[in-house]
Amino acid sequence: MIDSISGKTPSRKKGWTRREWRYFWLGLVFASPWIIGFLIFTVYPFFSSLYFSLTEYDLFNPPRWVGIDNYKAIMEDRSFYKSITNTLFMAFISVPITLFSSLLIAMLLNFKVRGINYYRTMFYLPAVIPGVASALLWTWMLNPDFGLVNMFLRWVGLPDPAWLLDPRFTKPSLVLMGLWGSGAGALIFLAALQGVPQTYYEAAQVDGANWWHRFWKITVPALSPIILFQLIMGLIGAFQIFTESYILAGGKAGSGSSLGGPGQSLLFYAVNLYQEAFIHLKMGYASALAWILFIIVMLITLLVLKTSKRWVYYGGE
Amino acid sequence: MKRKGSIWGLVFVLLLAILSGCGGKKPAGSGSESGEPAGGDAKKEPVELSFWYGWTGTEAAALEKLIQKWNDIRPDIRVKGLSQSDYQKQLTAITGGNPPDIASNFGQDVVPWGERGAMMPLDDYIKKDNVDLGDFVPAALSSSQSDGKTYALPIAMHVSMLFYNKELLEKAGLNGPPETMGQLKEYIAKLSVKENGGKLQRLGLWPGVDAFTFSYAYGGSYYDAENKQVTPDNAGVKAAVEFGKGIWDQFGSKELDRFASGLGQYMSPQNPFFTGKYAMTIDGEWLPTFIKQYAPNLQYGIAPIPYDENNPSLKHPGNVTTSVFYIPKGVKHPDESWKFLKWLTEPEQMAEFTAAIGNLPTRTSLQQHEIYKDVPGFQEFLQYSSSPNLHSFPATSFSAEYMTEFTTQYNAILRGEVGVDEGLKRVKDKIQPLVK
Repeated sequence: MIDSISGKTPSRKKGWTRREWRYFWLGLVFASPWIIGFLIFTVYPFFSSLYFSLTEYDLFNPPRWVGIDNYKAIMEDRSFYKSITNTLFMAFISVPITLFSSLLIAMLLNFKVRGINYYRTMFYLPAVIPGVASALLWTWMLNPDFGLVNMFLRWVGLPDPAWLLDPRFTKPSLVLMGLWGSGAGALIFLAALQGVPQTYYEAAQVDGANWWHRFWKITVPALSPIILFQLIMGLIGAFQIFTESYILAGGKAGSGSSLGGPGQSLLFYAVNLYQEAFIHLKMGYASALAWILFIIVMLITLLVLKTSKRWVYYGGE
Repeated sequence: MKRKGSIWGLVFVLLLAILSGCGGKKPAGSGSESGEPAGGDAKKEPVELSFWYGWTGTEAAALEKLIQKWNDIRPDIRVKGLSQSDYQKQLTAITGGNPPDIASNFGQDVVPWGERGAMMPLDDYIKKDNVDLGDFVPAALSSSQSDGKTYALPIAMHVSMLFYNKELLEKAGLNGPPETMGQLKEYIAKLSVKENGGKLQRLGLWPGVDAFTFSYAYGGSYYDAENKQVTPDNAGVKAAVEFGKGIWDQFGSKELDRFASGLGQYMSPQNPFFTGKYAMTIDGEWLPTFIKQYAPNLQYGIAPIPYDENNPSLKHPGNVTTSVFYIPKGVKHPDESWKFLKWLTEPEQMAEFTAAIGNLPTRTSLQQHEIYKDVPGFQEFLQYSSSPNLHSFPATSFSAEYMTEFTTQYNAILRGEVGVDEGLKRVKDKIQPLVK
């Protein structure tokens, strides 16, 4: 290895020496398990789904080329727009709320009080529970009659909505469930919080900054790269939301009842995609949906990254 | 050069290892599974069949009992049952080329899957073994057939009837169940109770009830096979949708959602029909069994679905759904699979299984069978299942999408998001292009 590095400069003009070639191939051989896996499980499905999106394919018969017909049909499909609207609601309402509550929890967990480790564990615990289990748990929490949520609301004299039955409240139900899991994000924030040098705060305090100034001028800028990371991961997660809807809206696939809950209020992008692919057996159409999702997520991510230059501060700069 | 060769050798060995690792599994696995006999030996290895069914719990136990019975009488064909209620697994298994030898499914999946080639047509076997298809209830069998091909045999069927709470009807001064749709409407108005400034306490009938059943009450049809037209805008279908919409609007989405939020679980003593929150309900042949279990003191009656008073020939309408057995495409022992499937759907086995799980048999010859004597409510349902006005949703390659879209738009119509005509037109616009 050392040889190849030191020998690089003199032999550059002539191209690689035989020895360099040999290391090159040897390197490839050692990297091949990953390369082969990448080709088979990532590159091939990637391009074949692009191909399928231009065909009519039902799994059993060979795909039939239809050009961009699938994309055209999607543009006229009401379920597509409904699913986009529902998904954007989650992305732009649920993600920021969850992000904010994570940050809040992280700041609380950053206090040096007795038994803080127990609190930290408690808040992180929901993240350990699998999606299906927590969704089932929440169907009981949100039960209009016996659920804890409504029992509490009645107790304080607030109206008790029919959470999972009323189309206006199904998505807020999911936001609530998301909040419960914000301990996972809090843990990441907490790690970052502990990396913020105390000297900043001390200096600010000497200069007479109150807690709001310290939060807004020190904590938030110091955490901004983490906020960016969590924001992007949250957005991507929001576009893939599936389990909660499938469990809560009673995924009785194939028995004539459609997925997506009351008034299609929980018909998210991934749920619609699943329905088209595995219930209606339209793999080509579903592949086209997947590509549109890919483009949307990429555009939103790029947009966020672009604006982030204005509000994200990296330590080194 | 020599060194380089050794690297290529390494690459080659690695590739070989990977290839053999991938490919090696299949022959080994299928070999042990099939146990193909080497020759016409007398001591033939038994053929092993895997059988995936969607029932679970006690219902699965009833089926396992039958499988045990088969294994006792046919040691040469061993059947191994697997409770697998995720039907998507069947899809992946079939496309992956390693399907179960026999499987169960819902009737409405049969033609969509069958026409696409996922299920083996059974007609040659049926002809060869003289299976009398005439014994099957036509509405039940038709959901498994398309273009003269039979892709599956129905083992059990479901049909809905009208259940009514005798006490509540009496209290409202109503004599016996409603017979026509017009009467049903009156009954609903009379039986629904509002208190405390319009707060709904009891419903005559939940207005979101499935539109399929009522479509047949109005003589509706969803598909015109002759002209290859989907007909969600058919007069009968439209009348059924308008009927639902009419009751819905009497109460309004807000009040109904509030009312629904207080309703108990279906499979519990808090089922709204059991507690008197619904005075009537449209439900299947399993409900009397549930009532016996959860609300043994409920005074209820079972009546035919009301029909359009302007058209007495539509008496005793209903929507039939089925559970079927089929042989997936690409099985290794189709002959043996068929033998088992045929045996399972024979009257004796069908009677034993359907009586155990409280489903209706699909053979007309079983409708008098004494095995159902003690199943609650079955006399009414068995009699009803021979009504000529029973229909199943038209079996086409696009029926899954059709039902999804219809249900979606029906709900949108009920909630006033779209008008009746516009909603039904949306269904037609979306589904008609799928007709081939």
